[in-house]
Amino acid sequence: MVRGPSRRVTDVVVLSTAMLTFISFWRAAAIVLCDMASTAWYIGGIAEQAMGRAAPWFILAVMAFSACVLALYVEGSSMFVRGGVYKVVKEAMGGTLAKVSVSALMFDYVLTGAISSVSAGQYVTGLLNSLFPYVRIDWHLAPALFSCLFALVAVLYFWRLNIIGIEESSDKAVKIILATAVMGIVMTGFCLWTVHQRGFSWPSGELSFSKEGLGWLAGADWHRRIGAFGILIAFGHAFLGLSGLETLAQVHREMEAPKVPNLKKTALIVFLFAALLTSSVSFFAVGIIPDDVRAKYIDNLFSGLAMSVAAPHGVQIVLQALVVLVGAAILCGAVNTAIVGSNGVMNRLAEDGILPDWFRYLHHRYGTTHRMINLVVGLQILTIILCRGDVYLLGEAYAFGIIWSLVFNAASIVILRFKVRGNREWTVPLNVKAGGVQVPIGLTAVFLVLLSVGLVNLATKRVATVFGIAFTVVFFLMFLIAERLNRGRGKMEHREKVNLINEETVEDVLKHIDKPNRVLVAVRDPNGLHHLAKTLESLDDETTELVVLYCKIQHGMSFGGDIVSLGPEEEHVFTRVIEAAEKAGKTVTPLMVLSNDPFYAIAQSAQAVGAGEVVLGASGRIGLEVQLERLAMTWGALQKSDATPVTFRVVQKGGAEMVAEL
Amino acid sequence: MPAEKGKPTREMPATKTTPPVKTPGPRKTVRVASLLSEDVISIVSPAPEKAALIESMVRGLCEKKGLGDPQPFLAKVFEREKKISTTLDTGLSLPHNPRTEREPGSPAGTDPLSALTGIFASLAVIPGGMADPNEKDIPISVMFLFLSPDRSEFFPVHLQFLRSVAGLFKPALIAELVKAPTPAAVLEMIRKAEK
Repeated sequence: MVRGPSRRVTDVVVLSTAMLTFISFWRAAAIVLCDMASTAWYIGGIAEQAMGRAAPWFILAVMAFSACVLALYVEGSSMFVRGGVYKVVKEAMGGTLAKVSVSALMFDYVLTGAISSVSAGQYVTGLLNSLFPYVRIDWHLAPALFSCLFALVAVLYFWRLNIIGIEESSDKAVKIILATAVMGIVMTGFCLWTVHQRGFSWPSGELSFSKEGLGWLAGADWHRRIGAFGILIAFGHAFLGLSGLETLAQVHREMEAPKVPNLKKTALIVFLFAALLTSSVSFFAVGIIPDDVRAKYIDNLFSGLAMSVAAPHGVQIVLQALVVLVGAAILCGAVNTAIVGSNGVMNRLAEDGILPDWFRYLHHRYGTTHRMINLVVGLQILTIILCRGDVYLLGEAYAFGIIWSLVFNAASIVILRFKVRGNREWTVPLNVKAGGVQVPIGLTAVFLVLLSVGLVNLATKRVATVFGIAFTVVFFLMFLIAERLNRGRGKMEHREKVNLINEETVEDVLKHIDKPNRVLVAVRDPNGLHHLAKTLESLDDETTELVVLYCKIQHGMSFGGDIVSLGPEEEHVFTRVIEAAEKAGKTVTPLMVLSNDPFYAIAQSAQAVGAGEVVLGASGRIGLEVQLERLAMTWGALQKSDATPVTFRVVQKGGAEMVAEL
Repeated sequence: MPAEKGKPTREMPATKTTPPVKTPGPRKTVRVASLLSEDVISIVSPAPEKAALIESMVRGLCEKKGLGDPQPFLAKVFEREKKISTTLDTGLSLPHNPRTEREPGSPAGTDPLSALTGIFASLAVIPGGMADPNEKDIPISVMFLFLSPDRSEFFPVHLQFLRSVAGLFKPALIAELVKAPTPAAVLEMIRKAEK
């Protein structure tokens, strides 16, 4: 601490949570695929139980349709950095329907965690039961009980990981997807060899619905009389293949620049990977595994496939082990993705005042929204216990959240085409201009397909309808009550919650910086961050660290004290800073210092972090030239050596700027 | 002695434009000692008021360097003093004329400041310290007043000069200067420090 007649920084904090890390499209795709591609491990069994040997055709159709739904998400996300179902539906149809749609989505997330972890448990149980005779252990694990226990352990593991933070999670997702790709190639090789050796029994095109598969329509035979109706029912039973798409909207916020091109790449990778894996597993399972054997493996069909390929038994066991290990990893990855995704959705709700602010408080050590994570994980654990290891039951219930959140999303994007024109970097194709109005034919067709499937599912999926509606109503009421309570406290504009790391000196900030070049942008007015936006636009994020400095001014010479939390003004500024960084997809290091002179604070901080460029917003009060003069003076007074060149840049609101290289 | 007399020190103007106009090329540093001579250095005791000292330094500079009527210079220096402080926490005060804001591309003015051929400076050492009405808690020990050409192409030199002067008059040098018995000793100390 410096005291006496000086103009110096006396306290320094780095806003650790606001030091956003942006991920590549590969990482983003891995996170989405951890949910979407994991469906390959159980969709075949569930769909076949509902509609018979024709299941692979409908799984293929749904996976092909996923391209349309991904396109829907790309368009929605191109409009809002923090998008997703809630934001899109709210903008298009208002808060009430947004709450309904997000309640359905939460049902999807809770069920994703449960079905994925239980399914992983089924695979592990199957493998262990296959291995026990080889090691002369006379055990047989009860699949339902053991899969429940496994699911609980998996959910708790990923709960812990998410409390620690997303960086660790996306690393794991990439590894899991790489392992899945390797396993997929190995299995495809064996399957093709088997087809070459034994031939291939193509799945039947005839639908054969089970009683459960028809739900409340079991007594009627509409599906026989109207072929298209039967196709819709079957399509609906394969719809759980689309789970995980909302995660695309959630990771968009954390995607690095350029946002929309990277989002499109992510969507393409997700589509190709998920469609190939899920469809091929379903086809090979029906085409290679004999019907009587397949019934034994209905809850772990991929294992059945490994045990049915043309190879010695030892190799089959090794393949099963590979399938199970990778399956357990990706299914557990889906648990993680569900937690990450639901956390993102709940954050949007909390930002909008629909969840109490209590949920947004960050973990004191890891800076994560731990209370939201706890809620979702708690519900997943409850679901696992209640389902008692029944994958089919979970699969039946599962589709409700997926389909209805998609229906609301699609309807909203159609409405937004007319309500909010422009502001899109990309749109779903097939748009026709008629009388000066652009008619979104492609988008409307996707919406109509989704709506039809949603309506049919209401009648055919009893478990989904009953539990889905019940869960949605409960969540909706919870949101409604919380929103009313929040409203009573007065409507607050969204403020980012951040964790602070206190540093002894400005020089200590260097340990948070690792890029060779540094630019310091000084901010003050939350509505005057044009200079930050301009700097972010041209910033090379790979090589340049952008330090965003806010100087809290304390007048007088005997000032000091520690910054223990952000005041409303600082929260407002840094919320806007974080939004700007997210929009650009570039990392910033937010820094706040306490000083009695802003120019000294800027010069001292810039010199401490080794900034080669200092950017200020133009002050209407004192003028650009005087700002530069004062900065040059304080720079000189503080500099240790005259040799270091520096560029000062003062940017006006319209983008005009004055640059001085000293 | 004015620096770079008779020719512009920068070829590119630094003005408010889009795209930005940069100030390229090697940084030119004007040496402070080269601008000072014993007749523009004073040791002031007791300290007058800041405004009075500025006025006397501008008048002296105009007279010694043949700059003509001091009034336009005084008006500009006081205009700048009304804006953000020119005093640093080291005890150095840097009164100077501001750059007149002109539209990009507009011709330089015809006033005496635009017509200056280089920087003209005057130094006052105030051993007892002098109060600054704008920075009540910082006593001024050294006042370095300068006039620089009010032309956009000269502005980078003006900024670089501000940085250099502020960097030169560090607390250690100021502590020595206030003990200097004569203007000649002051000048010698500055020359040494600049080496």
